[in-house]
Amino acid sequence: MSILLQSILNGLCSGSIYSLIAVSLSLLFGVMKIINFAHGSFLMISMFFSLWACRYLGLHPLVNLLLVPPVMFVIGYSTQRFLIKSIYEKESAREPIGVLIFTTGLWIFLDNLFLAVAGPDSQVIQHEYVNKTLILGDFFMSYTQIYGFSASIFISLLFLLFLKKAKVGRAIRATGQDREAASVIGVNSYEIYNISFGLGMAVLGAAGALLVPLYNVYPQVGDVFGLRSFVIVVLGGMGSVWGAFWGGIIIGLIESVGAQFVPATFTEAIIFIIFVMVLYFKPAGLFGLESE
Amino acid sequence: MILVNEGAGKTGKKWISGIAIIIGIGLLPFLFNNPYTMSVLIFTLLYAYFALSWNIVGGIAGQLSLGHSVYAGIGAYTSTVLFLQYGLSPWIGMIIGAALAGLAAILIGFPCFKLRGAYFALATLAFAMIMKIIVENTHNWLGGPRGLEITLLKNAPWQFQHTHKLFYYGVAVVMILAVIVTTRWILRSRMGYYLNAIKNDQEAAQSLGINVTYLKLTAAIISAVFTSIGGTFYAQFVLYINPEKIMGSHLSIQLAVMCIIGGRGTVLGPILGAILLMASEEYTRLYFGGKIVGIDLMLYGIILMVVIRFVPQGIYFPIHDLFSRFFGNRLAQEKVSLVDKAH
Repeated sequence: MSILLQSILNGLCSGSIYSLIAVSLSLLFGVMKIINFAHGSFLMISMFFSLWACRYLGLHPLVNLLLVPPVMFVIGYSTQRFLIKSIYEKESAREPIGVLIFTTGLWIFLDNLFLAVAGPDSQVIQHEYVNKTLILGDFFMSYTQIYGFSASIFISLLFLLFLKKAKVGRAIRATGQDREAASVIGVNSYEIYNISFGLGMAVLGAAGALLVPLYNVYPQVGDVFGLRSFVIVVLGGMGSVWGAFWGGIIIGLIESVGAQFVPATFTEAIIFIIFVMVLYFKPAGLFGLESE
Repeated sequence: MILVNEGAGKTGKKWISGIAIIIGIGLLPFLFNNPYTMSVLIFTLLYAYFALSWNIVGGIAGQLSLGHSVYAGIGAYTSTVLFLQYGLSPWIGMIIGAALAGLAAILIGFPCFKLRGAYFALATLAFAMIMKIIVENTHNWLGGPRGLEITLLKNAPWQFQHTHKLFYYGVAVVMILAVIVTTRWILRSRMGYYLNAIKNDQEAAQSLGINVTYLKLTAAIISAVFTSIGGTFYAQFVLYINPEKIMGSHLSIQLAVMCIIGGRGTVLGPILGAILLMASEEYTRLYFGGKIVGIDLMLYGIILMVVIRFVPQGIYFPIHDLFSRFFGNRLAQEKVSLVDKAH
């Protein structure tokens, strides 16, 4: 029983970080309707940035939370502004297959660029903070898990609040719901796309900073999270940021609780099977609107 | 030369260029008569074949499938397992694999064809992932993540094996001709027009009384059968299969990318896409491979980005325009409008 509870705790922690990754992807998916295959690669980049900041600047891993997101915002904004925009303009009326191929190219390019720059080995950060654990009776959790969990929840909620209340956030939602109508009331949709991409990458940067103490960093690390975040986004409901949030928690729980009953390598298959079933019975996702 | 054939329509030129192509294909292996170039040539043919098979669903019917590695995997694993366990000739295993792949296409297509666009792409990708995970976790028959090795028999054409690469080259040429003939037949048949209508506007097509699900499923089955035969060919040519290579997301995405880069819905586009990507991959690996790790794939990624940025419809169309300008071929223009430039 206590093993089960422990696995639930672990699931919540990893799930909350999945949520953060999925929330950022959901923003791009929901607002721009694009499949960003390079999402995992951007996560990998932000993990490497955090790693380098710790190693070469001697920063505390949690300071990265303030440092990496702004850098990732600039990268995301520029990627959209200078690379994806021109492709998107050509086919905005149709399903954006061009963007899919483009981000596939970007994915392959970035993974191999970091393979050349950083080498193929798994790397970890050396910091006393990484090894501390909290023991409560039968349960134990590392501080990195606890901070990861609370910071992810906090950032997700902050981001949701931003989308709900702030002027830019409302403009982002309006563009996602109906681009033409948003343009009519004076929203510059392309600028909104740039900002959305930047914001998505900033949230992803925060996720990367939180993941670094928990996972090894290597050039293909994004593949694991990238594909999983697609599953989460569709599971939660495309364009529903709340859905992505809960989807992440659910996937984290399935993964860690499921590993108690079936071989760990098989939990991924369970995730995909649940995914297909949700797609089949409720294509709008668990938390999506029926109209989408 | 090849392109003239595509545009020449019903004039006599068609036969001349057709014969020229056949002579060209026949001469190619003698021009590059060393094992390495032959391997590259055969792999290019195989991937062109895969891209053409994908094209039936992804191009003509316009359904962005990212699950085609399932069918390639079924083809490769069925023939190999039957050969290793029961000594059945892979030629027969190939047919059984194709049948199983057709069945899989129904099972996957039935739920997935309810979905559109990005949803469809992700659902099919999920099936590819599920299939790979299942194979990786089945150690008894399928060898798990380590894969299966096919017993070397040297010269045994009846067991789909030969030490001479020319054997595989010949088989690959026959396969690719078969898929080209099928694609052309679909494009010109009633089914091709129906599928084109579904691609452009599914609701409109449905309202005209087209049985959308039935047609999409038919296209998926044809495509799956061809892809599965390619999987068997891969297994017999490499004599080793593992889930990483023949299943999962990478192969799926690669097939779609080759076809889209080349030109969806056309006959020559997927071939051009496969030639461009395979040639550039081999070339960069040969000349930069040893110097910087991953530089070959970096360039591969750059090529994808550049092509989609400047020729989003695929490289077939600018090349075709160039040729028809040189030869002033009117009929060529008609052909382009038929295959839908996706406007």
